[in-house]
Amino acid sequence: MGVDVVDLRESVCCGAPIKSVNDFAANYLGARVIALAGLTGLENLLVPCNRCHFTISESRNIMKSDPRISGKIKDLLREEGLQYSEIKIWHTIDFLHDCIGIEQIKKAVTKPLTGIKVATHVGCQIIRYSDLERVDNAENPRKLDELICALGAEIVDYEEKLDCCGYSLILSHPDSALSLTGSKLKAVQKLPVDSLVVSCPGCQTMFDSKQKDAETTVGAKFSTPVIYYTQLLGLALNIDGNRLGLNMNQSPVDQLSAKIASNQNISRHPSGT
Amino acid sequence: MSVVDLMSMAKPNLEARGKVLTKLHGREMVNCFQCMKCTSGCTALKLLELKPHEIIKLVNLGFVDELPTSNIIWTCVTCLKCVERCPQKASPYHVIMALRNLAVEKEAKMPEHYLKAVSHILETGLTDTPEKIVTRKLQTVDRDSLKLPKIKPPMESFQSALMKAMEEK
Repeated sequence: MGVDVVDLRESVCCGAPIKSVNDFAANYLGARVIALAGLTGLENLLVPCNRCHFTISESRNIMKSDPRISGKIKDLLREEGLQYSEIKIWHTIDFLHDCIGIEQIKKAVTKPLTGIKVATHVGCQIIRYSDLERVDNAENPRKLDELICALGAEIVDYEEKLDCCGYSLILSHPDSALSLTGSKLKAVQKLPVDSLVVSCPGCQTMFDSKQKDAETTVGAKFSTPVIYYTQLLGLALNIDGNRLGLNMNQSPVDQLSAKIASNQNISRHPSGT
Repeated sequence: MSVVDLMSMAKPNLEARGKVLTKLHGREMVNCFQCMKCTSGCTALKLLELKPHEIIKLVNLGFVDELPTSNIIWTCVTCLKCVERCPQKASPYHVIMALRNLAVEKEAKMPEHYLKAVSHILETGLTDTPEKIVTRKLQTVDRDSLKLPKIKPPMESFQSALMKAMEEK
């Protein structure tokens, strides 16, 4: 789709895990990511993770609004020869929806996901809090849904759509965290959907990698394929599943790939032969 | 131990309340009128009994000292619903994060993984070590097998800058 992506190789942690320890240090780390991105001379920074996007956005906000803190952070950046400069910060979802655009995506689709129904989980930290310039509307986020419809699939709405996956608590309160994950999976399992689509690696860790652990915590059986949006996009662009990392998802994604393939066969041969 | 157990005849400490206010960087807190919109949508309410409106009320009254040493401030899932919905632009989430920072300054008991993350970032730049994983088809995969670039150790100048950042209160 005509986008060149440059990997920010020297980049380290954005600071999200240490906001609880020292918010200033977390803001410094977020500002450092922005400063490193500035070194490339490019105008756009793509952050594919909700928590990172939130943390870096809060860093940028404090650099703009608090001269005392901004001054201290700039001093620290100077110790590494780095300079802070403004850059446009994107998340996967608003980058694809607003920058590339739905029409471009529709045009790029070569294998429409006909007959596939999906539930979405856009997560928490890219839609809240609105004062911070987020990726989508806080009470009725629709961009991920529209991105999925652009692939030819259908969205199924549900009450629990804005519920949190619980990732923040997985290390300190694992039972509570998995309880939140499991409750949401229970709700999704009741829907007539073929998959749950997420837009954050943290949420994916809970719904996908820890789906079995969530089963134990809430006493249920789950068989919900959980994939990150660009994996679904890749399938609609006819990209091989292994290149999309589908071999590494822990949830039963094979049943989704199989259904996509068989639906596409049926739609190519409507007579069924 | 619930927050109420910690409170019997506590004396307000307005200086500590001032410390929390400073950490809020201009965000509101004093104007909370206990509408409880935050608590009624709080993700951690049912399972962990977190009541954000209670935390703000206690801090506003000056009962700050008990909170950094209590377990309740570590139950917040950081979903940000309270920040989004407060009609007064107060933010229980930011107050809780300020209390967590105070807990670290006081060297209070806290979930250990936060401090482990800090030392890991100092050493390697990342929160955790990349792992080998076993896929659902029972294959072992790691960064090398995926031909991902090697991760370089961080520069000394980064480490000393981060250590200085950690000293900031």
